[in-house]
Amino acid sequence: MRSTRVLPICAAVAMALTACGTGGSSAAPAEATTLATTAAVSGEVTFWHAYSAGGGEIKALTDVIIPAFEAKYPGTTVTAVQIPDSDMHQKLVTGVAGGALPDVIRSDIVTVPELASLKVLLPLNEAMPDFQTWADKMYPGPLATNLYKGKYYGLPLDTNTKVTLANPSALTAMGITAAPATLKDLAAAGAKYGPQGKYVFAASGAGLWDLSPFIWSNGGDVTNADFTKSAGFLNGPKSVAAIQMLVDLYNEKAIPENILGGTGGVGTGDGFGQGLYPTIVDGPWTYPNAVTSFPELKINATPMFSGDGGSISVVGGEDIVMTQGSKNKDAAAAFIRFMLSDDAQVTMAKAGQLSAVSTLAPQMTKIQPYYEPFLEQLKTAKPRIPTPQYAKINDIVTKAAQSAVQGQVTVQAAMDDAVAQIDPLLAQG
Amino acid sequence: MSTTNAAPPSTADTPRAGMSMKRSKNLWVSVRVLVLTAGAILMIVPFVIMVATSLSPNTTTLPNPPKFLPGPFTISNYDIAWNENSFATFFLNSGYVAILTTIVVLVVSSMLAFAFARFDFPFKNVAFSLLLAGLMIPQVVVIVPQFILAKNLGLIDSLNGLVLFYAGGGVAFTTFLLRGFFERIPRELEEAMTVDGAGIVRKFLRLYLPLVRPALATAAIFTFLGAWDEYVWALTVINDVHKRTIQLGIAAFSGEHGTAWGLVFAGSTLAVIPVIIVYIAGQKQLISGQMTGAVK
Amino acid sequence: MSILEAGTVEQAEAVAVKKFKTRGGSSRRPSHWWVPWAFAAPGLALYGMIIGYPLLRSLQISFYKWAVLPTDASTFIGLDNYTRAFNDPEFWRSMANAGVYLVLTVPITMALGLFFAVLLHAKMPGRTLFRVLFYIPVVTSWVVVSLLFKYLFTTDGGAVNWALTDLLPFNLGPVPWLQSRWSAMIAISVLGIWKSVGWCVVVFLAALGGVGEDQYEAAGLDGANAWKKFWHVTVPGIRATILFVLVLQVIGAFNVFISVILMTNGGPAGQTEVPMSYMYKTAFQFLDFGYAAAMSFILAIVIFIVSFIQFKVFADKDEVKA
Repeated sequence: MRSTRVLPICAAVAMALTACGTGGSSAAPAEATTLATTAAVSGEVTFWHAYSAGGGEIKALTDVIIPAFEAKYPGTTVTAVQIPDSDMHQKLVTGVAGGALPDVIRSDIVTVPELASLKVLLPLNEAMPDFQTWADKMYPGPLATNLYKGKYYGLPLDTNTKVTLANPSALTAMGITAAPATLKDLAAAGAKYGPQGKYVFAASGAGLWDLSPFIWSNGGDVTNADFTKSAGFLNGPKSVAAIQMLVDLYNEKAIPENILGGTGGVGTGDGFGQGLYPTIVDGPWTYPNAVTSFPELKINATPMFSGDGGSISVVGGEDIVMTQGSKNKDAAAAFIRFMLSDDAQVTMAKAGQLSAVSTLAPQMTKIQPYYEPFLEQLKTAKPRIPTPQYAKINDIVTKAAQSAVQGQVTVQAAMDDAVAQIDPLLAQG
Repeated sequence: MSTTNAAPPSTADTPRAGMSMKRSKNLWVSVRVLVLTAGAILMIVPFVIMVATSLSPNTTTLPNPPKFLPGPFTISNYDIAWNENSFATFFLNSGYVAILTTIVVLVVSSMLAFAFARFDFPFKNVAFSLLLAGLMIPQVVVIVPQFILAKNLGLIDSLNGLVLFYAGGGVAFTTFLLRGFFERIPRELEEAMTVDGAGIVRKFLRLYLPLVRPALATAAIFTFLGAWDEYVWALTVINDVHKRTIQLGIAAFSGEHGTAWGLVFAGSTLAVIPVIIVYIAGQKQLISGQMTGAVK
Repeated sequence: MSILEAGTVEQAEAVAVKKFKTRGGSSRRPSHWWVPWAFAAPGLALYGMIIGYPLLRSLQISFYKWAVLPTDASTFIGLDNYTRAFNDPEFWRSMANAGVYLVLTVPITMALGLFFAVLLHAKMPGRTLFRVLFYIPVVTSWVVVSLLFKYLFTTDGGAVNWALTDLLPFNLGPVPWLQSRWSAMIAISVLGIWKSVGWCVVVFLAALGGVGEDQYEAAGLDGANAWKKFWHVTVPGIRATILFVLVLQVIGAFNVFISVILMTNGGPAGQTEVPMSYMYKTAFQFLDFGYAAAMSFILAIVIFIVSFIQFKVFADKDEVKA
């Protein structure tokens, strides 16, 4: 009974996938779908996301946005599937291998180039005639995370960045009136308070998410402008100096061991709330998290510690993308447009998701005043390397930096070794 | 380990009673209870922290130092977990999957283990070593071929599909466990039945299965637990929120930038209850199994 | 297949092995050739479909530079993934870590498991309650207990450091447990022991039920002390189960995963990576499925050899005694 069913399914899958394969190859992109804005849409759209259940995000999605979409387009149903953030990548990879992806995905920005290189995403700038209208509304940093080999595979659904956050009562207890504003101030504070057994700051790890703002603000860089080369950048003097500063802070015991992988130390958010770490560099979620755990906590937000390069932070957030295999691309496009509409973006902003639509900035700060410093920082924030090899590169950088923190090698030697491994990966594209 | 601790159970019943014996017996019981209490406290510390946190207001950070007592006491996490997140459905789904998996595994594995223990047949050793190999090869990479198989069989978003894959995954372990117990059964018992003219099926059902009841109970406890606790495969093949298992329901409380610990711990505490019930029921079988052993 | 012959030592009495190997005899021969197959077929079919076939596919993948997208061509590279693993220091470091974990956890877990099982086997007040309490770690999810243990081993204000410094007379200062390789492996091993003792207790309890009173009498050890009885009757009586638990604990130790991911995530600088976490990252983060599959088969061979030695050691003991 079962075997009779298997064969036709196999055949159908094989055919569908073959069709995808040729569609995605460079030879025949011409048959690209055009997803007109006016088309009447119906049918089912599946949407995978990793919104948090604890906050109001899922409620906003399932109780407000999806019903509104289904009301606007009668005959459509949206099936939203929540996947825990830490498992999303595995679920996507398995979905690629099994040809079982949904129509629309809310993807972490660093995963988009990888999915694009696997040829499972639809280039939206070719498929959506109104793509440019949407692109023009976005902050450039988040928009750039969708670009892979000259095509845009998605649009920013939400964004965030990190700024310097200070716990004023913890600072007061140390006798400091204002949080360090520059990298030099931070280093000086570390040299003074570390030997007294007090932390001045906490880095949550040693990956690019943690190191990049220090490297960029110190005037260094991770790669060249078109992300093809890291030699001379990640191991350049300014970058090495930025990492050396963190290593020095660690050796002075002015930052906790979280930099070695977030283990053993009290979590940065927790330690910040408890006053153990007077400053952290973190994102807007610190605010809603603090409300439940540390209701007394006052948070002062200032721009990322500045240096020779200015105050440059890193772009985080998610993009919304459509799969090549979607059977209902018109409805999927309509859903993407709807998710990016002002109404939906505002609804999500109320639940804690900062919009990447630059024209909504005034509304954002009205919804949550604490968004303001993050919006300001976003104007100069930079994306991480948009490459399918991001996970591997990040792993290399993390291990190299942690070896240096542990004192096994010098920072310079660690980064020299890292770029030797990274550049061949960047060359693969 | 000291000598007294390791005394076999039979000491208690040696027929050399007398006042001093009784006193030392009581002392021995007290020592044992004391040692076990100390062990038990160590065993349940994290569980106590989990329950206490689940009965405190929800936070996105774990309290440090950990809570041993709830404070301020609230059942709101249970309320939210149960009422706003269809935990009742998840419980039913997990219960269905775990019970059916346990039945399937016990049936096919006891038959397979019996065949391995009772008969010589061609390729027996090959078959058994392939079975053992399945226990030894890490399953991390196998998940992709399994997923493709499940998709081709039309078993995505299917609770029966979960049963099939969990049962397939449980066969090797349970067969390995049961085979040892089948082999311990003395051949003379079976020969007595052969004289009565019993066929092999009847011997299997009436003689062998009852005699390995402690092992069956142990296998049932572990199979149920395995199916109830499984997460990665369920995550891979279940999308439909109505088909979610309890572990998927709990995992859904962990978010991108903060996990709702109160809800996770409330869900985890609830999830432990059915497993404990199955364990207690299984333990009863272990004890009655002992009696069978004694009768023989 | 001598491992299998050795595997038949699942017999209680010390004389077992030789007897079994030669035993054949009429009662082991089925009345019809298909009778054993009829008993074996459902289990073998289910296993073959759900585990066997995907394992073969996985073996195939290990010889390819495997493309995740099914329509992309995978390149056959022969044994390259295997030679790469043999020359990959990170892989061998992860194997060494698993070995350390094994040595730290398996003997202690089994000793404690047997110790508590013997205590819990005898009649006593509150026996069921105790049995439940010892089972609690087994049923509490790995994710939850890993995170709790991470908190217990936190450097600043963690419960373990508090106990060492404030309760016990060790003035170590705050020990950074998870910050370096060996102390982190100890912390992960403590969790492993704690989580698995209850599992061993359950299996040993089932086996102890099969050691009858008569066997103590038969052994002529009526007057012997408790230790002698334990060593000469209880242990031989459950030898098969001890082997079973040992084999599975060793397999389990090589497969340690969630606790490592959540307590250290393999860090710092990959120093606490274990084979499973390394394979998982290789496959699902770096999409190198061919390499991950090759490593999983190398690990399987190592586990097979270790298990084989266990079977052999147990079998030899039997023969010496016989």
